[in-house]
Amino acid sequence: MEEFLLRLQESDFGVWVSSAPTLLAYPTILMLHTVGLAMVVGPAAVLDLRLLGYGERLPVSALSGVFRVMWIGFAINASTGIALFISEADDKGLKWIFWVKLSAIALALIVTSRLRKAVFGGGDPDAAPPRAQGLAVWSLLLWFVAITSGRLMAYVK
Amino acid sequence: MILVFASWLHKTQISVALQQQVSWLWPFCETLHFAGLALLLGVAGMFDLRLMGFMRSVPISVVKGFMPWAMAGFALNLLTGIVFIVSEPAQYFGNPTWWLKVAFLVVAGLNALVFETTLGQRAAALPVGVDTPVALKVIAVVSFLSWFGVLWAGRMLPFVGAGVGAGL
Repeated sequence: MEEFLLRLQESDFGVWVSSAPTLLAYPTILMLHTVGLAMVVGPAAVLDLRLLGYGERLPVSALSGVFRVMWIGFAINASTGIALFISEADDKGLKWIFWVKLSAIALALIVTSRLRKAVFGGGDPDAAPPRAQGLAVWSLLLWFVAITSGRLMAYVK
Repeated sequence: MILVFASWLHKTQISVALQQQVSWLWPFCETLHFAGLALLLGVAGMFDLRLMGFMRSVPISVVKGFMPWAMAGFALNLLTGIVFIVSEPAQYFGNPTWWLKVAFLVVAGLNALVFETTLGQRAAALPVGVDTPVALKVIAVVSFLSWFGVLWAGRMLPFVGAGVGAGL
């Protein structure tokens, strides 16, 4: 495992990402990872908060478009995340906090897909079933864990 | 001059207190800074897109109803940002990229002020389904780009211009 991670990190691409003397490598990829984060978590938070009762003048049905923004953000973050991972595979791949982050994201995606089905699965979005509220709480919680563990990757040994 | 101020601030009681805080205060504030940015950019970004003419079936006044969450994200980031600056002033005041971030913030703030004082009311009264006037589109694009600039400069802090005031 460790040997494989090291080979990733020392591949041409990995070395380019981590140490090319250009802002377009590591800094820009990291910046895009933050843009994607805002595109995923911002709209998710809006939908979750609305389902929890905030901003009731906004019809839930008007929020069906948030998933498109979230998917674009997620695509950005999956690809930039893979690039960042390759560049530091040996440093980051074996950290437990990294696996916390990946698990939180995986669970958040499952919650998001269930939430979408519960709210926009055919019935009236503005009469969403009560379990949608539970899913909204999980969504907020899991995305926050994902952000926190992502940030902590810079600190946890 | 500004570094003299940074050096003074670094020695104030509040700065020393923050520097000697539990080791997780800084990462904790960073995490909140990221959560705040998601809230701020996620909500304000959608409002900007609506002003640009996307999602026309949703009344502008309704999207605007979510702006308090963007403000909450901004407040969170202002607060955590102040913690960073007061703890390590030279790291920021000595970095031209940080000043660029502040410049983008000023543009975004002034732009929001122009919107609120001139077009805000009329925008909220626009009927659904119609295209937004050019003036609103311009304001929305300026907002979108300046917030992106804030994020860009913030994320580039460790990579561009860092080190000028390091070690103070």
